Amino acid sequence: MARNFTEIFGSVWFAIPAAVTVIMGFLAINALMIVWMERKVAARMQRRMGPTERGVFGLLQTTYDMIKLMSKELITPRHVSRKLYLVAPVVLFTPIIAICSLFPLSENWVFHDYDIALVLVLAFSGMAVVGIFAAGWGSNNKYSLLGAVRSILQNIAYEVPLILSVLAVVIMARTMSLHEIVMEQSTIPYIVVQPLAAIIFFIAATAETNRAPFDIPEAESELVGGFHTEYSGMRFGLFFFAEYSSMIIVCALATVLFLGGWQGPILPGFVWFFIKVYFLIFLMMWFRWTFPRLRFDQLLRFAWLLLVPLALANLLVTAIIVKLI
Amino acid sequence: MEMISDVYRGFRSLLKGMGVTIRHFFRKPVTVEYPRERAVVSKVQRNAIVLIEKDDIGSHNCIACLQCEKICPSNCISITGSRKDGLAFKRPDTFDLNFALCSECGLCLDVCPTDTLGYSKQYDKAGYSREDFFYDLLDQWKATEETALGTLREIERKKKEEREARRKADAEAKAKAKENDDGDEKA
Repeated sequence: MARNFTEIFGSVWFAIPAAVTVIMGFLAINALMIVWMERKVAARMQRRMGPTERGVFGLLQTTYDMIKLMSKELITPRHVSRKLYLVAPVVLFTPIIAICSLFPLSENWVFHDYDIALVLVLAFSGMAVVGIFAAGWGSNNKYSLLGAVRSILQNIAYEVPLILSVLAVVIMARTMSLHEIVMEQSTIPYIVVQPLAAIIFFIAATAETNRAPFDIPEAESELVGGFHTEYSGMRFGLFFFAEYSSMIIVCALATVLFLGGWQGPILPGFVWFFIKVYFLIFLMMWFRWTFPRLRFDQLLRFAWLLLVPLALANLLVTAIIVKLI
Repeated sequence: MEMISDVYRGFRSLLKGMGVTIRHFFRKPVTVEYPRERAVVSKVQRNAIVLIEKDDIGSHNCIACLQCEKICPSNCISITGSRKDGLAFKRPDTFDLNFALCSECGLCLDVCPTDTLGYSKQYDKAGYSREDFFYDLLDQWKATEETALGTLREIERKKKEEREARRKADAEAKAKAKENDDGDEKA
């Protein structure tokens, strides 16, 4: 697909903006859908109706919300450290676009199939922490700072089991290319062979995206809005957008690593891919409206004393078995 | 070992919680979309009082006895009534309720001798001033008042005829009994 873009636009310098635009559009549509879905799921689990007024089943509600956010005045508080404050949403959002270009949506639908795509995905998702810290520090606000500190602690803690569980898959597939990992799962998806790694990955991914029950970085009752307390208008919108985009990313990654990516009978590849991704997103929402928020010490203890040892043991056993076979 | 059982139990309770939420997910929402649909009011719901229609009259059967006015702890009912031609009982000329004072205690319903007071089903009255809550309970019966009076007179006339007939019968029976008594004495 990257080659196609270069062919169509003549030069890679035109192809890149075009690709970025396509990805932004893709993410925007999906994020709007997911926000709508989140509100609907939340409502139904609480026996409410959710949005019903705008469009069929309130489908256009999120679009209206986005238009409202875009038309709002961008307020820069006087006490912030201006450079960090302004650059933070961009720093947070840019790696997400990069990550999105790496996923194989179906057999032929991939921008570029890198040999080390998995490393790139993990590295770029690690960059989000920088954006969060810039936002928290630059806002010069106690709630923002505390939210950012919590977020970073949590991200560091959960990145370890996340990567360890991914490594188990890499050892089995003997490759880091996402395309080839999916091809390896043509007979059975890895969730069957690696159930523990799949569970650990999904728990860690939920924590990485700061979603409930691991949403202490923006625990409304304690921290107002967390690291984006001081942001308004579309700058806040960008944080919001990034949050839901990173949900798409971790769910897409889980789909590729454990659910066999685009593979499935009858329906075309990308349909299967989206079915799986949206099922995982639904699972995340289901978590959110079921589980109460963890306390911070519980959260860290859970990561370091349970998930990391389990993931390590799983990795060890996987390595031994793969070596013996 | 303890840790493993802890993890197992924790995991099971998480799944149980998820079961609860997904069950609710597939149930119907309890929301009533108010302006478009209205909630069904319970039979015992208390509200502003109204005069209930009585089937045999085709209107309310208030006799302006003022018992509700007397028993009302908030003094929110005021009635004036007068005797109408051909009727045994009075009939109200005004029946005003100051709903802003009413505490919906229901005493007026209890004392009403003709059971013609009841609760309204309208639960969403709102207004901008105190005067908006001065209700004229006779308002809804104004149009049918003439025919109702006619029916009441008819009922009253029938009752009178019945009474006359009964009195006549009684008198005849008495006369007969006296005759018999007289006969007995002679014998």
